[in-house]
Amino acid sequence: MGLNRKTAVIGSAILAPIAGDGQSLEEVLYEVSQRALKDAGLSMDDIDGIVVGSNDQFDGRAISIMAASGSVGGVDRDILSTPSAGEHAFVMGVLRIASGQYETHLIVSWSPLEVSSLSEAQRLGADPYFHRRLPLDEASAYALQAAALGAAAPVAHQLAMPIVERSRESGAVAGHDPSALPEDESAGNARWPLRDGMIAKATSGAVALVIASEDYVREHAVDNPAWVRGMGWATEAAFLGDRDLSTAPALEEAARRAYEEAGIGDPGSAFDLVEITGVTPYQELIAYDALGLSRRDAWKEDVEKGRFTRTGQLPVNPSGGAVALNPVFCTGLMRIAEAARQIRGTAGKHQIENAKLALAHAASGMAMMYQTVLIFGNQQEGGRS
Amino acid sequence: MELLKRQEKWDITYTHALGEVASWFFVQIRDNAKIYGRRCAKTGRVLVPPRAFSDQTLEPTTEWVEVGPGGRIETFTMVYEPFQHLPEPPYAFGFVQLDGADTAIGGFFKGVDLSDPAKAAEKLAIGTRVKTVFADKRVGDLIDFWFELA
Repeated sequence: MGLNRKTAVIGSAILAPIAGDGQSLEEVLYEVSQRALKDAGLSMDDIDGIVVGSNDQFDGRAISIMAASGSVGGVDRDILSTPSAGEHAFVMGVLRIASGQYETHLIVSWSPLEVSSLSEAQRLGADPYFHRRLPLDEASAYALQAAALGAAAPVAHQLAMPIVERSRESGAVAGHDPSALPEDESAGNARWPLRDGMIAKATSGAVALVIASEDYVREHAVDNPAWVRGMGWATEAAFLGDRDLSTAPALEEAARRAYEEAGIGDPGSAFDLVEITGVTPYQELIAYDALGLSRRDAWKEDVEKGRFTRTGQLPVNPSGGAVALNPVFCTGLMRIAEAARQIRGTAGKHQIENAKLALAHAASGMAMMYQTVLIFGNQQEGGRS
Repeated sequence: MELLKRQEKWDITYTHALGEVASWFFVQIRDNAKIYGRRCAKTGRVLVPPRAFSDQTLEPTTEWVEVGPGGRIETFTMVYEPFQHLPEPPYAFGFVQLDGADTAIGGFFKGVDLSDPAKAAEKLAIGTRVKTVFADKRVGDLIDFWFELA
């Protein structure tokens, strides 16, 4: 079911990686928020509410909204925080505007690299009864997922490196800092079957978006809004052993809801580009299938014939995606910001010309436990053209 | 200018209650070297690790069912990075669906030479039969057992 009131992205800022040690986390949050407001042509006085998404383990602070309340403008304002995923902050912001109680929102998510080991911090996510004794960080979950997919669809192993190469070529076009990319693609097994060369090293990052109601966009004659045309999100079981890791039923459900709201009948031909959260190429393949963009039996032809390159029929991750740059906790919100920028025509060097309808997929948690789909259009209603 | 960094190390201890279901499960492992699951009366599914309720039906589980010791590898990985309080790498771990269970339980794989990852991966291929092996001295935790090729 569609929302009662339409919302659009009207400004954004992406800082990833965060350069140097010249700023404290609070100063980074201040900067990314101010930049997003400037991009929207708004000041903090124009913002009704704030939703932030952050991870206490990575921040090294309990209730890490404490770091944000002042820096993003939350003093004496309505501010909420979610620890589940940066993209959930976006979903919550859209719903709050749809409620009719707010005209504008600032959405912020961040991911510092200040903990001695992200892997050790991620292990706190596992329950202390049955899983804490295992080396169950995100990389292990990615590997267990890749192994499951490779057994169900062996072609995945063959397509993994071509997907990585395409992502890095796009990342280079986008001008991403290549320092996070492994130098030797054949080097070592991070976690079998993943090789070190398949995964970008984690970088720091911060992402902010300004969203506004249809009434606000109309009354202020906002240029180039990226309309939220459809939205869906769903969650899988927390225990990995309960799931078939080669599939993504929560993503299928999230996509079903988003497509229904946006009136998408054939996702394979509906979009001018998609931004997928695939920290590994195996995740990207799982997402192709669950989003209905390319079924398993079509993967080989679609990947090898270049259907998903930036000049192909359906450009996937013109930004390079998470394989080219992975600011861990805000990677999902970054996909949302990238897709919205493409629709606004402000993506920069990697702009897809004349992009009118775009899909953003965000995934978080162990082996894509949380799945979110956003569809952005340059029109408030109607089809692509 | 000189930029300062502040390093902090916290030492906090949590004492988590396991509840009746997980307690009984780990006591059986510790005292009898047996693994049990819990059956959901509504669907008949046997959940391992055991849970007091099914997160699919939200019905309380009603019955203990012994599972294993044989099982099938559902997924696995080999880890080459050291973790605190975990074995020296490399080691293999993953999820095994024990005979009689409908969900898979996590655990370590032992007895496979990991020096050649490709060869080890063939031995641990998904679908491979394994057996549960119990430590002689057991403490009532997940590390009391592991899986070896059947």
